[in-house]
Amino acid sequence: MTRRFDPIAKKNDLEAFRHEIRAWLQATIPPNWHETMADADERRFVEFQRDWFVEMKKVGLGTPHWPKDWGGPDLSLRHQVIIFEEIAQMDAPTADLYTITLYHLPATLFGYGTPAQRERYLKGALERNEVWCQGFSEPNAGSDLASLRTRAERKGDSYVVNGQKIWSSFGAHADYCLLLARTDPNAPKHAGISYFILDMKSPGVTVRPIQQATGRAEFTEIYLDNVVIPVENRIGNENEGWSIAQSTLSAERGLIIFEHSERLARMLERDLDAARKGGAAWCQDDEFRRAYVRIVADMYGLRALIRKMLSEIEANPEMGGALMPPLIKLHYSELLRRYTELRLRIGGLSTQRREPVPMAGGYVSTNLMYDFLWSYAWTIAAGTNEIIRTIVAERILGLPR
Amino acid sequence: MTEDAAELDALRNSIRRVLTEHASRERVQRFVKSSDLYDKALWDEAVNLGWLALSVPEDNGGLGLGMNGAALLYEELGRSLAPVPVLGTLLVAEAVAAAGTAAQKAAWLPDLASGAAPASLEVIDPKRRAPSVRLRRRPDGALVLSGYARDLLDGAAASVLLLTVQGEDGALYLVLVRPREDAVTVQAEALVDRTRHLAHAHFDDLVLPADRQLGEVPLRAGLSDELLGHAALALACDGLGLADAVLTLTVEYLKTRVQFGKPIGSFQALKHRCANHKVALESVRAMTYEAVRHWAEGRGDAAARSSLAKAHACDMATVIATDAVQLHGGIGFTWEHSCHLFLKRAKLNEALFGTRAAHEDRAAALLLDPSAAA
Repeated sequence: MTRRFDPIAKKNDLEAFRHEIRAWLQATIPPNWHETMADADERRFVEFQRDWFVEMKKVGLGTPHWPKDWGGPDLSLRHQVIIFEEIAQMDAPTADLYTITLYHLPATLFGYGTPAQRERYLKGALERNEVWCQGFSEPNAGSDLASLRTRAERKGDSYVVNGQKIWSSFGAHADYCLLLARTDPNAPKHAGISYFILDMKSPGVTVRPIQQATGRAEFTEIYLDNVVIPVENRIGNENEGWSIAQSTLSAERGLIIFEHSERLARMLERDLDAARKGGAAWCQDDEFRRAYVRIVADMYGLRALIRKMLSEIEANPEMGGALMPPLIKLHYSELLRRYTELRLRIGGLSTQRREPVPMAGGYVSTNLMYDFLWSYAWTIAAGTNEIIRTIVAERILGLPR
Repeated sequence: MTEDAAELDALRNSIRRVLTEHASRERVQRFVKSSDLYDKALWDEAVNLGWLALSVPEDNGGLGLGMNGAALLYEELGRSLAPVPVLGTLLVAEAVAAAGTAAQKAAWLPDLASGAAPASLEVIDPKRRAPSVRLRRRPDGALVLSGYARDLLDGAAASVLLLTVQGEDGALYLVLVRPREDAVTVQAEALVDRTRHLAHAHFDDLVLPADRQLGEVPLRAGLSDELLGHAALALACDGLGLADAVLTLTVEYLKTRVQFGKPIGSFQALKHRCANHKVALESVRAMTYEAVRHWAEGRGDAAARSSLAKAHACDMATVIATDAVQLHGGIGFTWEHSCHLFLKRAKLNEALFGTRAAHEDRAAALLLDPSAAA
């Protein structure tokens, strides 16, 4: 008989809360999951993610930030920080499949959804483990997202949607999609977009995986051919989708990058431990030693920046830390590239052999060449770093357009 | 914000206000054209305001703010390119507070903490060299120094020198010298960066009273590490301040300089470079502040972090200051403009108290080698 864990009951004592999470993780992380997820096919990966999500929900950690009215424990940002610190420290699997479901969906529906939409879809995620994906980017609307051309035409009580979406993570496994489509082609580009809930089982929806440079295919293309979306599945008013999308995109409040930065820090600690135990030949090489400690310094900077942002958000939930995400995105993504590159230079030829790719390991798995290739997900996705640099220059430094 | 943090913030603002007036860009430009060793009027202002007492322990007549207080002073001095011998004075005060006998603390610290006695020491480096000044003891206990002290930081402005010397027993000792009373000639050496200078001095059987030896025992190895860490954090903070100032200067210029009918700051090639500089500045700032905090709290990794901060912040400041001249174009290359002053101080900071490579090697030894603490 295993012990029952209840971190939420201990939430008023942060140290006890942390210990309970750690004890729960120790007892619950699937043994050898790195091995069982090595080169796992899509079906096994999805099952694994669902099982892990179910385990997390059993102790209230599936939807830690959701309000009580919607079946969440409504934990503070500080509690969520502790959860991710422990998840990274204990090397638990990621819950990648549920990123949109856990962050973007509730942020959108809490702010702009109807009571009926909240009732139906938040419960669906919570009780039926429904998976959501995002239908924002298009082949000709990447960095310039607002130029999207997927068309939604009002016909009575429905919209008829035609177009193509791209870069939807896990689209092949999603039950629903947060969709942006153009409802007024004559309005200025930001002003003619509406926000929809798309049932992925609707007739006319075709999903095709995009095989990536890594060899995997998390991303998909979604083709929409006369897909009917009922009016009650529009979120917010017609043509006001763009501003709703902005709040969707800032929904995770830095927690996703916090999780990945903690995982990176944990990986560096493991490197340092191995070095101190004397097992690493590269530690005899001055060039590698210097390059490595530069990475460590950058990691210290990353963690300190993120903690600064989180404490600003905590102090001022509305406006706090608002200018920091672009700086943090640039710093983390470039650091991830530099770190994975350095590991390849240190490892030499051995890193070039094809090794199984571990799923659910985040961005620092243990497969060095895979991690290096996958780091493009961070320098390109969520606004290429070039777009983000322009944002830093204009919004933070105040340089003219 | 905690009470301590709010207090430090208020202190930083008051220091910045004073420096905006007393170390304005124009005034630093005038200083650079003079032949003065340091800005005496600014130093007097600092003395009046008690800045030299910030980091000195309360028991010794200081404010007891430790590295948290010193760090923000260093950052603001870097921001304004202030030509004052603060770093040497605070380092010597720290050494006296850490190693001096009660009588020595009473005799020396009040003048150091008030700023009445600007002080200097030889620049130290992670790759230590043997001291070139030798110490003999006469039968009556008097100390006799002979040799050559070099790279004395702002040494010709100092009324107190702290020398590391080698005794006949082979051990290292710290000795305090008052150049004027002791009739020691300290010769200034000009640096390209006019806001600091180095100096050297010859000791030809100089006889000093026995109580000039700091403490009663040889220099403990830990103390020179502490002084090196203090200097490393000081220069990291100086670099943060000057990098912030020169980036702000550059961004303002890009907003107003018009070519091809628009502000050149609207050109993406320039924007992206500034954005990269901003990311580097803010991440290094976060890292350096954390290093300062760990130092103040006496954490186990403080030494490694101080070296990483020195290496990273001084490098970042050099990169930004180097690009600032380029981004300004022709005007940035003129003597009249301030860009070159930031660039020169950044370059000097990089070389003072150990290069980037030397500090990275020190951090690597502390973090990677088997003897390193976990």
